[in-house]
Amino acid sequence: MIAASLAALPLAAAGEVGEGFFRERSSETLPCQATNKLFCFDWAKENIGSFGTPTVQHLELVAISVVAGFAIAFALALLAHRRRWLQPPLLAATGVLYTVPSIAFFFLLLPITGLGRDSVIIALSAYTLQIIYRNTLAGLANVPDAVRDAARGMGLTDRQILWRVELPLATPEIVAGLRIATVSTVAIATLAVLASGGGLGVKIYAGGNLTFKTSIVIAGAIAIAMAISFDLLLLGIQRFATPWRRAAEA
Amino acid sequence: MPSPEVAAPDSSDASAVRYESATKRYDDSGEPAVDSLDLEVPAGEVCVLVGPSGCGKTTAMRLVNRTVELSSGDVKIGGSSVRERDPARLRREIGYVIQQIGLFPHRTIAENVGTVPRLLGWKKDRIAARSEELLELVGLEAELAGRYPAQLSGGQQQRVGVARALAADPLVMLMDEPFGAIDPINRERLQNEFLRLQAEIRKTVLFVTHDIDEAIKMGDRIAVMRKGGRVAQYATPAELLMAPADEFVEDFVGADRALKRLALMRVADIDLWEAPLAYVGQATAEVRAKLEGAEVPYPLLVDSERRPLGWLSERDLAAETVPARPDSPLGPLLDRDDVMRDALADLLQGEAQYAAVADHAGRIAGVLSIEIISEFLGSPAAKTEEQGAAERPQ
Repeated sequence: MIAASLAALPLAAAGEVGEGFFRERSSETLPCQATNKLFCFDWAKENIGSFGTPTVQHLELVAISVVAGFAIAFALALLAHRRRWLQPPLLAATGVLYTVPSIAFFFLLLPITGLGRDSVIIALSAYTLQIIYRNTLAGLANVPDAVRDAARGMGLTDRQILWRVELPLATPEIVAGLRIATVSTVAIATLAVLASGGGLGVKIYAGGNLTFKTSIVIAGAIAIAMAISFDLLLLGIQRFATPWRRAAEA
Repeated sequence: MPSPEVAAPDSSDASAVRYESATKRYDDSGEPAVDSLDLEVPAGEVCVLVGPSGCGKTTAMRLVNRTVELSSGDVKIGGSSVRERDPARLRREIGYVIQQIGLFPHRTIAENVGTVPRLLGWKKDRIAARSEELLELVGLEAELAGRYPAQLSGGQQQRVGVARALAADPLVMLMDEPFGAIDPINRERLQNEFLRLQAEIRKTVLFVTHDIDEAIKMGDRIAVMRKGGRVAQYATPAELLMAPADEFVEDFVGADRALKRLALMRVADIDLWEAPLAYVGQATAEVRAKLEGAEVPYPLLVDSERRPLGWLSERDLAAETVPARPDSPLGPLLDRDDVMRDALADLLQGEAQYAAVADHAGRIAGVLSIEIISEFLGSPAAKTEEQGAAERPQ
């Protein structure tokens, strides 16, 4: 869907940006934006400043949504880890949220939270729940029974086992979930504009004009750069937080 | 969280463990996993719980640290009931070693060893010093302290497992098939190391295994268990081998139990024969006189320090004086501290009927013969075995 179409963008951008750039310089007499070339260098140079605010908004949308989604999903996972019977209903509930189409979600929230950022953040957070919840539970379940048995036998309380043993060992899976959730949130957040939530979508669907390519290319490139940056940041954090995994590989 | 009132005992005192009608029932209808177990393990001894799988030996062991909760009855450590203790605090006073080792993969070796001291709120430098001391005690190089478990071999990991269990100087150690997942060569090494360690630290140890040979080797006492955690026999290894209480124990101990008994004995434990000694240059007539009525029909040539050199043959004795070079080589030379089973193996391998036994200084202490061993195996205890075998129809 949206994520897929955005994922296709880097190829288009990488391949054609240069081409447009050279054409611009060589022979064109008509203003580039009039012919709606894939990338108009002059326009880009003039208007790049207008991408600042949408980018910051986009960052905020993603950060707040992922943090909120993580807090909720993590708490649900801990609860379900302790009380097994909660696992199927919670999986179903987060699964249902995940399958609601994004645009439908915004409109469903309209009567409750109205237009604007709140609706967007609620919807985006809801999308992250499933993947973070599932990965956290899977990470906790992957802790070897012998490790848990030894921890218990040595006198760690259940709480100490969770925080000192199970969660550190589940870190790779938890961060993996967080990375997928963050990258997809960066993509879906471009739809925030449909609920007047701001973000890079503003520059993609600018003024109802869906077809001005240069703006779409720039906004798309920023979104991709943002997704990659978040991903690398989280990967770095995971590496830093799990030194034993590198030691084991060496 | 660190709790000041639970100061870890740093002295090497061990506590007796007593099961009093200890019962574990997993559901109300089924048979209990452990049924009214009564067992007393004296302080400082290794008690091996041995039996076929599903006999409840692990369950019985786990009742001590409450990783399995009693349904009824009691388990007392040093006279006080485990039921009255907070489980987590109780467990910090009990060493715990399991077959799968269960080291924390995300903690370094030193941190793993320091787990319980940290729970007890020890100061950092005290924990570090203790970790270092323990790694040395279990024979690991100090440079492993900063490694992670995945970087160690299985044998090294289980040494860390033992060190970790000993960290806070526990009153009691629980060991559940601790060497079961280790390859045979390393297992034997770890067993020996643990015995050497135990001779030093004298903990009360409950050791679970399904391997009767390991039980005989490791145990001061052995509780042979059958289904339902019932003790079929509770005895020292020697008693168990000499007088199995019933058919179940006899089957479990195995048909080769007479040989197993040899593994428990040292050459010094048995009455050796006295060899007629001959010195170089001695008149052969004198030596011949000694042969009259001697237990060993051949004279043993020894040097002036009474160190054995070889056996004299008829041909040697035909000469006037005892020659410096005997006709037959000495053959196997045993030490008084040799295990009887190994001594027998040496005799068989050397195709010898007699073997000289030397003391620590290498001086002759006596002669061991195949006959002595077969007499030992044919002692009253071994005979009951034969009768038992004869009475059984198969």
